[in-house]
Amino acid sequence: MSEPLVTHLPFKAGLPPMGRYMRSLIKRRAFISEFARSELRGQNYGSVFGQLWLVLNPLLLSGVYFLLIFVIGGSSDATRFAHLTASLFLFYLVANSLTGGVKAITSGQRLILNTSFPRIMLPLSAVVISFLKFVPTLIVAFVIHIILGLPFSWQMLWAIPVLAIALLLATGLAILFSCINVYFRDISSMLPYMTRSLLYLSPVLYEASSVSESIKKFEIANPLFYLLDAWSQVMVYAEAPTLFSMLHALAFASGIFIIGTYFFLSRERDFAVRL
Amino acid sequence: MISLSDFKHDHQKSSIAISVKDLGLVYKTSIDKKPTLKARIKSLGRGKKYTRLVNALDNVSLDVHYGSVLGVIGSNGAGKSTLMRVISGIIPPTTGRVDVYGSVSTLLALGVGFNPSMTGRENVYLGGLAAGMTESEIDQSFDAIAEFSELGEAIDAPMRTYSSGMFARLAFSVAAVVEPDILIIDEALSTGDAKFKEKSLNRVKELRSADRALILVSHALATIEDVCNEVIWLNKGKLMARGNPAEVIAEYQKFMNVRKSASSDEDV
Repeated sequence: MSEPLVTHLPFKAGLPPMGRYMRSLIKRRAFISEFARSELRGQNYGSVFGQLWLVLNPLLLSGVYFLLIFVIGGSSDATRFAHLTASLFLFYLVANSLTGGVKAITSGQRLILNTSFPRIMLPLSAVVISFLKFVPTLIVAFVIHIILGLPFSWQMLWAIPVLAIALLLATGLAILFSCINVYFRDISSMLPYMTRSLLYLSPVLYEASSVSESIKKFEIANPLFYLLDAWSQVMVYAEAPTLFSMLHALAFASGIFIIGTYFFLSRERDFAVRL
Repeated sequence: MISLSDFKHDHQKSSIAISVKDLGLVYKTSIDKKPTLKARIKSLGRGKKYTRLVNALDNVSLDVHYGSVLGVIGSNGAGKSTLMRVISGIIPPTTGRVDVYGSVSTLLALGVGFNPSMTGRENVYLGGLAAGMTESEIDQSFDAIAEFSELGEAIDAPMRTYSSGMFARLAFSVAAVVEPDILIIDEALSTGDAKFKEKSLNRVKELRSADRALILVSHALATIEDVCNEVIWLNKGKLMARGNPAEVIAEYQKFMNVRKSASSDEDV
């Protein structure tokens, strides 16, 4: 008798055969993008503006802050407005991945119970959806940058590695929280408060330089603090980020990605019986 | 996690396709339906008082060979779908093992992965990708899928405008083009109108070949007897009988008549 192609044994927490898993994941990458695209279209289905909302959302959001800073606040600080919008857009990339990812497994019950596929595709799709929502905001941020007459330089190319780190962090968080939510459903209810707290603890509504040293000591535990600071340096001031900011952001993003992925992969065979 | 086109082997008739040994599956369910933190805290220190064990499969052993069509019958809750999910690697067993000697495609539910706000055409791609096909495979099969579904111009309308019959027709058509080594079909043949049911059944008959193994789960006993060359009967997770379709079905019907109830009549 020839060797079996695959053997299904009782569940034991541990990593699946990674070679086969990765091959299957790469082969099904088209499903990830198609699934994300369809979910995105579904979200705006039936509205008058349809997919135009992807651009309208960041425009309206920046309009609200324009009202807050320039009209109500009476400020004429262009950099503050540029910082706020650029930082908010990157913050939403991470926050949307997290809120989309947390229910990726529990709301994918029908797919999970009826098809065999690498379950990690579902939180990955949530990150792709957030990224597709982020791309138009990047364009809006550049338009604001030009209108406000802020500087441009080659240092702005640092935006690419900063964005890559942000995506790594967003992916790690989406994978980790999607897995936690299978075992503790309460996490999805806690999430809005967690993301709101993270927003206020991160340099979005204020700049990192305005935070006192005593507070900054605690911000070392915030995975977004130095990432957003680096983003603001690059996107608003057109300057290279500090090495510490980049290393701090990379260390957190890698750590969360590795822990989240290990936690997810070692338990994903158990998901179907817990849905 | 085997994809459809990953492995396409030449299998000799009667060589083994699936080997199921001493398979058991026990569900542990809590009284609280959702595993919330509150439920966890409440159940702390209360031992097994708040959990219930459900024996979904109990010591099931069977072999499926290439060239055969295995029918699976049994009343609701007998463990038929659970067995199919364990064989296809969706749910891990509690005890025992399943050895699979080929690529498996499952048709456990129709329209998995479909998005109602997208058109039928877009859903053909979405459903095909969800089933493990590649984009180029779907490109090649698209005309055949559209023709099989008989949807005509409606293929470009959003699926939320479809009737349930149209939805089922397109969903079955996507699944019908897949040609894996081992195909598992769970209650997917009773879709659409009488004409489409016959068409679906004919497609399943076409899929019977010496180098393919088919497993068909159905309550339609006449279809099982017509299509299958071997039948197993499951009851409360246990394998009650296995063998010639006519004999096993007769035994099952006799058993159902003995334990006569409204729900069991419905199954037969």
